[in-house]
Amino acid sequence: MLDIRGLSKRFGYGKGEVTALHEVSFSIAEGEFFTLLGPSGCGKTTLLRLIAGFTGPSGGSLVLDGKDIAAMPPNQRPVNTVFQSYALFPHMTVGQNVAFALEAQGRPRSEIDPAVDKMLTLVQLLHLKNRKSSELSGGQQQRVALARALVAKPRILLLDEPLSALDMKLRKDMQIELKRLQRETGLTFIFVTHDQEEALTMSDRIAVMSGGHVQQIATPRELYDRPANRFVAGFIGESNFLSAKASAGVVEVGEGRVALADAPDGPVTLMIRPEHVVLSANAPDALELQATVAQLVFFGTDTHVHLVLADGTRLVARVQNALHGGQSLNEGERITISLPAKALRVVRDEEVAA
Amino acid sequence: MTGADTLRRWALALPAVVVITLFSILPLGVVLVYSFLTPGDFGNVKWIFSTDGWFSVLFERNIFDDTIAISDANIGILVRSIVLSLITTLITVIFGLPTAWFIATRPVAQRNFWMFLITIPFWTNLLVRTIAVQEMIRSDGVFNRILLGLGIIHEPIQMMFSNFAVLLGMTYVFLPLMVLPVYAAIEKFDFRLAEASYDLYASRLFTLRRVILPLIRPGVIAGSILVFVPSLGAYVTPRIMGGGKSMMLGNLIDLQFGQGRNWPLGAALSITLTVLVLLALIWYTRLTSGRKERNHG
Amino acid sequence: MAKRSFDVTRLPGTAVLAVACFVILYIPMAILVAYSFNSGKVIGNWEGLSLKWYGSAIHNQAFLDAAINSLILAVTASVVSTVFATMAALATTRTEKFRGEGAIHIILNQPLMVPEIVLAIALVIIIGQIKQMTGYNGLGFLIAAHTTFCIPFAYLPIRARLEGMDLSLETAAADLYAGRFYTFRRVTLPLLAPAILSGFMLAFVVSLDDLVMSDFLKSPGQDTLPTYLMGELRRNLTSEIYAISSLLLLLSVLIVAGSWVATRKKD
Repeated sequence: MLDIRGLSKRFGYGKGEVTALHEVSFSIAEGEFFTLLGPSGCGKTTLLRLIAGFTGPSGGSLVLDGKDIAAMPPNQRPVNTVFQSYALFPHMTVGQNVAFALEAQGRPRSEIDPAVDKMLTLVQLLHLKNRKSSELSGGQQQRVALARALVAKPRILLLDEPLSALDMKLRKDMQIELKRLQRETGLTFIFVTHDQEEALTMSDRIAVMSGGHVQQIATPRELYDRPANRFVAGFIGESNFLSAKASAGVVEVGEGRVALADAPDGPVTLMIRPEHVVLSANAPDALELQATVAQLVFFGTDTHVHLVLADGTRLVARVQNALHGGQSLNEGERITISLPAKALRVVRDEEVAA
Repeated sequence: MTGADTLRRWALALPAVVVITLFSILPLGVVLVYSFLTPGDFGNVKWIFSTDGWFSVLFERNIFDDTIAISDANIGILVRSIVLSLITTLITVIFGLPTAWFIATRPVAQRNFWMFLITIPFWTNLLVRTIAVQEMIRSDGVFNRILLGLGIIHEPIQMMFSNFAVLLGMTYVFLPLMVLPVYAAIEKFDFRLAEASYDLYASRLFTLRRVILPLIRPGVIAGSILVFVPSLGAYVTPRIMGGGKSMMLGNLIDLQFGQGRNWPLGAALSITLTVLVLLALIWYTRLTSGRKERNHG
Repeated sequence: MAKRSFDVTRLPGTAVLAVACFVILYIPMAILVAYSFNSGKVIGNWEGLSLKWYGSAIHNQAFLDAAINSLILAVTASVVSTVFATMAALATTRTEKFRGEGAIHIILNQPLMVPEIVLAIALVIIIGQIKQMTGYNGLGFLIAAHTTFCIPFAYLPIRARLEGMDLSLETAAADLYAGRFYTFRRVTLPLLAPAILSGFMLAFVVSLDDLVMSDFLKSPGQDTLPTYLMGELRRNLTSEIYAISSLLLLLSVLIVAGSWVATRKKD
């Protein structure tokens, strides 16, 4: 329903010109929970503001339901935003805030009142309808902002780091609440966040962004299991990287070697998640390496084992703690570790800002 | 706080308190007393109680048949003072608000320059500014010379000594007083709220009416008070621009202590003017403190 | 080609009205200054560029006397009112409520609540009597009157600054065995200095600006710049008036520029 084609944005001009977005293209489907994920300055907020219409693109097009909306002012786009700061109107009550969009559209009172009540019921705030918005707690303001943005039934709801101002406990509750709202309304959500955990738990698909480029678009599962490049692998979850040489489908790291069909010939970077590192030899189809245990860090459910390979490469392995402390490793001990072939990924370097 | 502390603080404030009591509060009391005395023959007063001064504010007694009629002249001036001050306030809002908006939405580096341009007239002598605006419309002034030169008119238009002249003069001299507080309010305005409004389908006008104006209202009210109060008590500008034809309360008061030779009437008019100003100020404090309470409640 | 961005800070028409506002503010002053350089005596008749009227103003004894009176008045009234206002501001801030604090605050603001013409008339009545009784008619009356209406103007910025000041600094100084006066001199006063300066400037300009009070209270020979200008205006409109007005305009530009430079330096 939303097609983004070659969309780019530059700020400033001449020598001070900065490119915030490099010809980004992708599509978002109806009813999808789509997340733009990346560190600050990656271009995700710029992209959101382009979709909302607060800023115009330097190039490319933005097609919603077959119509290019790139030049359309924000008040004509069927797109509403939940702002990071909520931006609730401080001089209005909760009810007036929620009614705003419908009043601005000139809907009749008889239509506005029930719609507002319905929306407030949906976010469980009907009892606070006549409160001033400045008298609410952070979580309540969040819900009002949601209700206000949803009441006019937008084609797309944009959410700009809406949970970042909430404390941990409230954030977890709101994540579930948001997902529930999205399912109940069937709306398309575009969610911006820098928090990978938030993105993984809520999204149908995630676009990982960095340096004004989209690095990968995939489901959370795919992103974690098959990161497209080194940036994505490093940003999503924890990762170990190893430099390797590949020829004819066999990769070689130091003394170890294993068959890896998709490895291109030449130097490659291998990635493996800490929980996939096996602290013993004899794993089938695995890269076996000698390592020294540098440090053991206890985390309750599991222990992180920091390892140093012969060439100085550092790796982390995550081991579940057994019931009777079957832990037999000691710091400084030399062991053989195995990296199973099915857990090893060849990763490319990411696209970087020009 | 101990008694000695309180005493020390009073002592510290005493010089200022004494000066203002002696040279402002006490004289004002004397004016109040004078408003209830009988006019002297050559100005001043006779110490005989009378309410004639107050009576004359609104009425006049016919010297021949002793009938009482409403004093058209005084009431005319009273009404003119209030109406002209209100219109002045309105015009300064119409020009001052967009100007403040314009300045507050410039890049930060440019704002100082524009504010500098507003501050200069604000600090310039009132008389000098009145002379400058008088030059524009006096019969031998800029407008008439231009119109005559272009052959649009064949003799000068008399623009001076009229309500228009007073209005123009007061608007000109008090305009900066409106821009400053409105600018301060707009500078505090969170433009993300305007973004939210446009995002929620509001037009420019709807956003202005429903979001921007309500939130910068305190600045507009402060500016209105800053313009209305000195307009109501204006003396210099109406004297030059309005002359004897378009007097304001200040000029009428002056007249009673000069040629009119009716000090009690002048005193009563002075108290009337002061009360009007106080009412405006009380209305203002009510409005602003009321808002604070609501916000906290 | 970049598409035009939607600008949330834009309100159609504001730029036009703002430009109109600046034009309205500056055209009359620009014309006044322009005419002050006219060599002709009749203001509207341009007879060539000349500094003639500035020369004639500088050699005009009445103008010079008025300028000196204005200066004496403004300096005395602003210094005295700033000192008094600073003391009063120190007395009414950085403390819990004390008996009469509200009264002091109202008294100090009272001159602002009364129209200038009313205050002038009130003082004329009283000072007229005193002049008759004592026979004294020196500049003292004008100084007292100017000091009176200058006090609130000096008081407001100083008080505002004191109210926003971090009390812990004074407490810290007291904690370090600093005496009350030492604390004031080394901690409070330096922090307060910018506010005292702006209070002083405000008082100075307000005194210099005053026409009504001086016009009603002056004895013969006590013309200030505004009363002199007003007197001349009543007699005859000459290019010299415009020259003097332009000088006053220049003075305010210098004052504003000076205070901007002073505040910039601090930032």
